[in-house]
Amino acid sequence: MKKCKDIKDNLPLYMDDSLSDADKQTVEEHLKSCPRCSKALGELSKTKSLVNNLAEVEPPPWFKQRIISRIREEAEKKSLLQKWFYPVRIKIPVQIMATIVITVLAVYIYRSGNEQINAVLPPSATAPVVEAQKGQIPEQKIKKPIDKTIREEYSLQEKAASRKPVSQTAVDKVIDINEQVVSGIKDDRYESAPAAKIIALPEAQLEKKKENQVPGGAMKESRYLKAQSSMPKTVFYLRVDDISTAMEETEQLLIKYDAKNIIRQIIQGKATLSAKIKNQKIKDLTASLKTIGQIEKYIMPEADAEGNISIVIEIINN
Amino acid sequence: MLWMSNVIDSKKTIDADEDIEFVLACQKGDTEAFEALVERHQKKILNIAYRMVGDYDEACDVSQEAFIAAYKSIKKFKAEAKFSTWLYRIVVNCAKNRLKQLRGKERREGFSLDKSGEVKTEEISNQSFINAADPGVQMENREREINVQKCITSLDEEYREVLVLRDIQGFSYEEIQAILKIPDGTVKSRLSRARNALKDCLTKVIGDL
Repeated sequence: MKKCKDIKDNLPLYMDDSLSDADKQTVEEHLKSCPRCSKALGELSKTKSLVNNLAEVEPPPWFKQRIISRIREEAEKKSLLQKWFYPVRIKIPVQIMATIVITVLAVYIYRSGNEQINAVLPPSATAPVVEAQKGQIPEQKIKKPIDKTIREEYSLQEKAASRKPVSQTAVDKVIDINEQVVSGIKDDRYESAPAAKIIALPEAQLEKKKENQVPGGAMKESRYLKAQSSMPKTVFYLRVDDISTAMEETEQLLIKYDAKNIIRQIIQGKATLSAKIKNQKIKDLTASLKTIGQIEKYIMPEADAEGNISIVIEIINN
Repeated sequence: MLWMSNVIDSKKTIDADEDIEFVLACQKGDTEAFEALVERHQKKILNIAYRMVGDYDEACDVSQEAFIAAYKSIKKFKAEAKFSTWLYRIVVNCAKNRLKQLRGKERREGFSLDKSGEVKTEEISNQSFINAADPGVQMENREREINVQKCITSLDEEYREVLVLRDIQGFSYEEIQAILKIPDGTVKSRLSRARNALKDCLTKVIGDL
């Protein structure tokens, strides 16, 4: 017969009927002759029923909601992570590549941007000084009115772009006779403009027209003007009796000699015509200009790659 | 007879698959499917946690922690076992971790888990027996429940978990093996010791059972 100690370990399982047949038989035989173990079995079954009858607790009302809100937070975090980093073996190389491409692009844009800014910037102070030394004339005097006009043009263009078309009389007194016409331009951008016809329009209207034809036309034009003004130029001073007649005649001459990019400006009793002309035609032009009035010529820059020379003809009253 | 076994088999399959649909949806990122799983298992999870830690508030925390942990690792769940088995393992482990933390806190701050457990158990018991008609019976039941929980909490964790799963939650030996990942013999020997220890404790506390 087994001792009570060994039986004690088997009693809890005997209750569940989970002992082997042999063990079960041993326990049953022992119980018959051992009141202590029988009592222990009784206590065990009472214990089991006490435990079985323990009341279940209910979850608090906020329980599920709190779990759900935390799960949603986790889901958001997860989806963000997945968006950016998963699968790691694909996304990380892609991100590295993208970073490299962006860096290279940024550097490229920064550099090319610098060049463009230089091209558009107003002429630096050094260029006129050099020219003045060469030409032995007070270059500043010539440059200043041109620069001023251009600056005024910009302000006008800005106004025109943002407001209603400004009529010639409405413009400030200083610039009230400021007219600008681009004609005979062979440039592709302006092919739609009549080549030989010179139209005098209030600037604002002109800008509007250009904008309709060429998107960003105003911007390009102003940049062109600035770029042209920054180039070294041959300057003719033409002293005449009647400025307007002389200007008409000079324009005809320029058209005759295939001048490009003719720009007409009238500022404070002085007419200025700027244009580009073939190097070989400059002599003929000079000769013809002499028939209109008294002429003085300054500075002779070298022709550009296409053999063109930028010229400025200033028509002044005698 | 054959027909009967077929019925039982098909019933088993249904049982085994009752959560799997939601689990698969959840693995594809459907959070609403997980909400359904929470709804379905919250009570059982809370009760396991409560009987393990012996404190209602702590049990709520542990259960939430278990659900969050399950959600985070739901993609790792393979349908080799039942989802509920996997979830119960998580809550048992969370409860054991919490007990370890509380013991550490108790050592550092001189805070007694048993005492606070006692108070909380009393509160919960008050709620449980609120419907009992006779106030005398109410008192008696409440008292008994507090003592039973006290004795359960006094058991070592490895005995406690087997007792909670078998005698309170009514899981089979096979299910307990799967939940705790321990062999059949270990389940039985631990259960045997747990029952004997609980009987001894209750005899000491209540007197004659």
